[in-house]
Amino acid sequence: MTEDWYVVAIVALLPLTAGMLVTQVNPYHALVIRGILGAVAALVYALFGAADVALTEALVGTMLSITLYAIAVRSSLMMRVGVLAPETISTSGEAEIVAVSEIDRSHPTAPVLSALRQSLGKYHMRLELVTYASPLALQAALTTKDVHTIWLTSKETLKSEPAESPASDSAPVYQLQTRVRRLYEILQGQLPPTAELVYVNPTDSSGLKKPPEMGMSDDSTETSS
Amino acid sequence: MMNAILITMILALLLPIYEAWQDDNIWQKMLAFASIATKTSILILVVAVLRDDWTIGVVGVLILSVGNAALMLLAHVLRRLNEL
Repeated sequence: MTEDWYVVAIVALLPLTAGMLVTQVNPYHALVIRGILGAVAALVYALFGAADVALTEALVGTMLSITLYAIAVRSSLMMRVGVLAPETISTSGEAEIVAVSEIDRSHPTAPVLSALRQSLGKYHMRLELVTYASPLALQAALTTKDVHTIWLTSKETLKSEPAESPASDSAPVYQLQTRVRRLYEILQGQLPPTAELVYVNPTDSSGLKKPPEMGMSDDSTETSS
Repeated sequence: MMNAILITMILALLLPIYEAWQDDNIWQKMLAFASIATKTSILILVVAVLRDDWTIGVVGVLILSVGNAALMLLAHVLRRLNEL
């Protein structure tokens, strides 16, 4: 009976950390708190003499599940934006990921990029820029669901899609075409006036043959918030 | 004497839990996680010595050494997240 009090004090830490875990809204913070919960749970199990359960909790519950979930959250909470490569890079035909820090701050695209990043940050999403060599490759990447959104300037819009030419007299310089309805709802009204947002339905935008609806990235983005 | 050590350790365990709760920076939370992971495994070792139970002691040593591996894996994933 004399050793009961510290058992109670330690076991009381378990609902405390569990309450912290379920009140987190940021998924990455929740992962770290899950690690704390796993450490406290391993302590409680070892305290009750279940050494094997404590070891399993520390190895699987804390190490493996947190790492796997961190990779899963990192690759699903992301918006891929296809952009045209600058003239110097355009000789290499392959898509290539640009580090965001390389973008010049004084460039006219900077306010649009920061507005994008800010409005995506409310939903704990990241922005990833993928460069393509030509406007045709950009459109193909959108229709084959390689990217979620493509970034065009007005004259490229005219070149590639003559059907949308009446929109060319308006002020926006950049046009962002997205194929995900939920991204369109999130970004609507958040962009500066130099950019306009257009929702394109991938099923009727071109005559390309598409694979049957796998919807992996679509579903993860739509249900994430 | 052992009771005083246990009280001190449980109170010291509450400090990083509070820090992980109130700080919004992800790296501060990681630091609190590291602190809690080490403190709980040391607490397991103390309880093992207190009860003279070698099974719990071996598990405490394993958790103490492996828990930091989980921390490093998670820190690498988070660091690449901020770079991209």
